[in-house]
Amino acid sequence: MKTIFIIAGRTWKTAFSNTATLALTLILGLALCLATFIGWQNFKTQNAQRLKYKELVREKWLAKPDKHPHRMAHYGYLAFRDKHELSFFDFGIESFAGVSIFLEAHKQNTVNFSEAGFSNGMLRFGEMSVAMVLQLLVPLLIFFLGYSSISAERESGTLKIILCQGVSWRQLLFGKTLGIIILSFSLFIPIILLTVLLWAMLSDWQVSADSSLRLAFLVLSYTIYFIICAGVAVLVSAFHRSSKAALTTLLILWVFFAIVMPRITQALGVILYPAPSKMEFAAAIGSDLHEQGDSHDPDDPHYAQLKAALLKQYKVDDVKKLPFNYGGYVMAEGEKISAGIYNQHQQELNKNFEQQNSFSVAASYLNPFLAIKNLSMALTAADFKTYIDFQAQAEGYRYGLAQRMNKLQIEKISNIAPGEKEKPLSISRSNWAEQPDFQYEFKPVSSVISNHIWSILSLFCWFFAVLIVLGFSSGRLKTLS
Amino acid sequence: MNPTIYQLEFKLFFRNKAALSGILILLISGFAGLYFGKKFIRQQDLVIEKASRMQQEQTSTNIKHFGKDPGLLLYHNKFSMVNVPDRWAAFANGQRDINPYLLSVTMLAVEGQIYDTDLSNPSTLLLGNMDLAFVFIFLFPLVIIAFTYSLLSSDQESGVWAVVKSQSGNLLGLIWRKFSIRVISIFAVALVLMISALFYLQLPLDLRFLLVLLLLSLYLLFWFSLSFWVISLGRSSNYNAVLLISFWVVLNIIAPAMLNVWLTQQYPVPEALETLVKQREGYHEKWDIDKSKTMDKFYQHYPQFKQYPFPAALSFSWYWYYAMQQMGDDEALPGARSMSEKLSKRHQFTNLSSIFLPGIQTQLRLNELAGSDLENHLNFQKAVKAYHEKIRLYFYPLIFQNKTIAKVQWNKFKVAPYKGHATGNVWQHLLSVGILALLFTTLAIYNFKKRISLF
Repeated sequence: MKTIFIIAGRTWKTAFSNTATLALTLILGLALCLATFIGWQNFKTQNAQRLKYKELVREKWLAKPDKHPHRMAHYGYLAFRDKHELSFFDFGIESFAGVSIFLEAHKQNTVNFSEAGFSNGMLRFGEMSVAMVLQLLVPLLIFFLGYSSISAERESGTLKIILCQGVSWRQLLFGKTLGIIILSFSLFIPIILLTVLLWAMLSDWQVSADSSLRLAFLVLSYTIYFIICAGVAVLVSAFHRSSKAALTTLLILWVFFAIVMPRITQALGVILYPAPSKMEFAAAIGSDLHEQGDSHDPDDPHYAQLKAALLKQYKVDDVKKLPFNYGGYVMAEGEKISAGIYNQHQQELNKNFEQQNSFSVAASYLNPFLAIKNLSMALTAADFKTYIDFQAQAEGYRYGLAQRMNKLQIEKISNIAPGEKEKPLSISRSNWAEQPDFQYEFKPVSSVISNHIWSILSLFCWFFAVLIVLGFSSGRLKTLS
Repeated sequence: MNPTIYQLEFKLFFRNKAALSGILILLISGFAGLYFGKKFIRQQDLVIEKASRMQQEQTSTNIKHFGKDPGLLLYHNKFSMVNVPDRWAAFANGQRDINPYLLSVTMLAVEGQIYDTDLSNPSTLLLGNMDLAFVFIFLFPLVIIAFTYSLLSSDQESGVWAVVKSQSGNLLGLIWRKFSIRVISIFAVALVLMISALFYLQLPLDLRFLLVLLLLSLYLLFWFSLSFWVISLGRSSNYNAVLLISFWVVLNIIAPAMLNVWLTQQYPVPEALETLVKQREGYHEKWDIDKSKTMDKFYQHYPQFKQYPFPAALSFSWYWYYAMQQMGDDEALPGARSMSEKLSKRHQFTNLSSIFLPGIQTQLRLNELAGSDLENHLNFQKAVKAYHEKIRLYFYPLIFQNKTIAKVQWNKFKVAPYKGHATGNVWQHLLSVGILALLFTTLAIYNFKKRISLF
């Protein structure tokens, strides 16, 4: 064990005696600090914007005068997608997902105004976040530091001296790996401390247990990721005759895993599981609605039956004689049917999207970059699952609002419609406060873990695979070039 | 020049396994890019084909249900406009996955409708498309680096250079010969891919094709010149590789990523949410105020409709309803305007910063030429607004006079196509990549002239 530490210490020292390495590390460290700071600033601006309009929406809602409840149902509500306080660490899909959704009766709208929609294409090159630096650039630094770790010793002939002195291959490999890990940690640890500080400031020093757990898992995942990268770098160096060949291999691995493969896996997923266009999606809902009952169709059999049953139950011969507002009753029924159909189709669509995404999850067993990418997004609540959960909660709120207004209409609006020239019916504005404000609730960290169990497992697979190869490859390694 | 020496150099280059595998990687990923890019656009074409049939069906259903009440019919009936993809869009998919290419609007306030997005998987948007433009911008430079980084240093490291040096008088010529072989190989691959694109994507062979060819050539030359300069520093192979990869990472990943967060931070777009709120309030608050106030404003906008009598005594009329909807648009207009001003500010900033970033420069110009950039989408939105206005002007009188829809010429309102792409100031932008390429080449030649005997 002591030998391993000695080797690790030597690796660390020699790496920093090289000015180029030192410069590169410093530049990366600066980039990281800048990224953290800008990400944090950005979070505050965007969040303040959303909060401002959220409060405005609530204020306007409460200030509406006496009205017919169905007018209020059409006035509807605006919901804004909340940012998790950890999303300044990893932007994930944040910029590619919409920010606001208009919630109104009878109609399910899309989440609009994504940052990507305001970009003229530069966004496609990536966004500077802490996660991006840690996922993409730190491994590159690790590869730069590690490509010559064994092969240079072999080239200079010191390898055989080290091995002659009683150091085993296993000790050498673990020692070198450990040295590089410590190197990457000299960047990682300060950044984590900075992140914790900024995160605590964002939450006004009132950190929640759930977020602390999320951050702890993040730190753990990235630690494993760096260990994998360091192990791969040392192994590639050990298996190559020359440093130059080792460097080439590592760079090819980096480009392929981090740049090319993510695009290809997703493109394949999209081609194999094509999703319907919005128009087809709406048409499918429309035809289902036609089968089950369309409240807009005056000759619809479902509503004819409903009417007949009501007349029979209340023993009257005209809906105008019913003891409650018949229009409200029909709308409540219509909302129930259409929302049920919509939800079913939306769930199918989400499943379709998840099938597309499953390719990149499966590919994470070949590519640890994808594993950490998916996991990191999930832990900072900037992933696909959080997005569809927001959609679902917003739709739940929309349905609740529409049905509350329908209920108010059924109970409080007279069933006898006023004449064409009479004042329209209305109810007191005191009813509006009954509708609570929309508040998105983040899923707890436990659901993140159960949702992303395959990504977590793939990271562990990589971790153990690297450890095993480091421990048992000595027989296949050559001492002399 | 002696052609046989060139032949020998070619032989030497292709004896190297790395050379063949580099070319193979470019060809395979290039063809994959062509396939994925075309497939993506084909999907949009298919939806556009279906759109006109579906709109006809829906209109006839609506007429069946609400035909007796034109106000209600126009409340429900949707009119679509499509942003028809250019053939070049398959080459550079650009922002076509993010921005909707089919917008269906009713006669209600248009500001509440044109920002609706398509149904899309945000994970796919995040990872981006794999089109041929991606291969050119990201992968070609990497292969150029792989081909050239050890051009001189490997010979120095193996000791061959010492022998060559003692036997040849024209060392720069020798390096140039080695280098030009790599340039020729890469350009041959690029040409093969472009000609394949010409046939596979059925691109027209016109000025635009030549422009794209020039744009890509300059971009590739920039990377060659950068590499040439790094070689001229006369350092070891490993040093060159690390330096060149760092350049690639800085130019194509770090700098754009930094600029992006800076841009979002510097030019936030709260105007979007402002417009949304204004449109909704502008319309809805009219239900609670005196009808004459709304109508006065409406007649200010459309004096020509004053001739139709307004049924002021009725508690509800479609006349009043559409006037209220119109107010939603009118009151959201300042917000919408300042949003487009903000977006053009962003556009200017990106254009300015891309002068120093050839990767972004090339990507932006390709998107522009392919009609898959933000500008194209904003123009599409404008076209939709114009179409919506045409619909309003046609149907308003009909509704205001409570006429029947018997005489409506529905074929005037079929799915409307929008086509467009910019060719504006590509030349100026081309110049910036060209100048950068020239700069590094000059620096490299200067270095070689000064120090070649020392290598």
